[in-house]
Amino acid sequence: MARVKTVTPGVTLDEVSILMFLVAGKQLAVELSRVQHVLDFQIPTRTPRRPPFVEGIIQYKGRYLPIVSLRKRLGVEGPGPGNPAFLLLAGVGADPIVGVVVDQVVRMVSVPPDKLLAPPPRVFGIRAEFIRGVVNVGGRPLVWLDETTVLASTEPITLIT
Amino acid sequence: MDRLAPAERRARIRAQRATAQEKFLLFRVGEELYGLGLRGLREVLLPEGLTPLPSPPYRVCAALEHRGHRLPVIHMRVLFEVSPTGSPPTARVILTEGEGRPLGLLVDEVREMIDVDPTRLGTVPALATLLPSACFRGLVTRQDRIILLMNEDGLGRLDEVVQFYATGT
Repeated sequence: MARVKTVTPGVTLDEVSILMFLVAGKQLAVELSRVQHVLDFQIPTRTPRRPPFVEGIIQYKGRYLPIVSLRKRLGVEGPGPGNPAFLLLAGVGADPIVGVVVDQVVRMVSVPPDKLLAPPPRVFGIRAEFIRGVVNVGGRPLVWLDETTVLASTEPITLIT
Repeated sequence: MDRLAPAERRARIRAQRATAQEKFLLFRVGEELYGLGLRGLREVLLPEGLTPLPSPPYRVCAALEHRGHRLPVIHMRVLFEVSPTGSPPTARVILTEGEGRPLGLLVDEVREMIDVDPTRLGTVPALATLLPSACFRGLVTRQDRIILLMNEDGLGRLDEVVQFYATGT
């Protein structure tokens, strides 16, 4: 877990840093330490007989990376925005780096441990096994996804939009 | 050690590099390009005389009568799940050898030949395809285009090809 020691006068807190983004208008996040880079969208090369949520591959700094559409993985139908972003995530599966397409990157959020809530059985239709925690951001829930489980599992997930 | 003149040394280095290259025939399936090593390549044929095989068990293979032999032909659009599965007028059968036995690949179009350094191939990501990794040699980029290089021996080990030869279908 990414913990950033934040020192305020007289108080030391272990904070978790997560990267917040949007998919179909929902506030979602992944652990910031997993994010190697954020890239502008580029059209991936389609690979043969790929899983339904895989868009293909791109080349980045001499390596070939698989590209996963988080919209498709979360069962969101219809086209996304015209200029989505790629999050390059490390250590989330068999491949060293996986590119994940999200609608829009919002910002980094530092979460004090006491503000991170255990997920109820479902949030936005996503089952708790795919969630590491829930935080209130701007009066709305922000769901911190379990990146590894979401990408490794083939169980359907249906984001309620 | 021989002392070589600079020009001769450069020529020798060029020759060593040239021998390290391997030729691949490029072909198109759908909108993407793929490559097949020339090692097992025999012929490129028009897709005539293909006979469908009973489905099930066959889904991606057809049979081709060629010079008195009956051999399996993999319909690459079907194998790759590229829709629609019909063949365009540019379609050809690449006749190669997989696992030491004749094997045809029905592709959308045969393109040019390229030289590739086989020691510098990229790895196909595990998440990128549901096909067995043995079907691929690796990845290479040409003019900003990523090309998947196929492994004819891996294709020759696909269940349907093995069954074709086991049953003499």
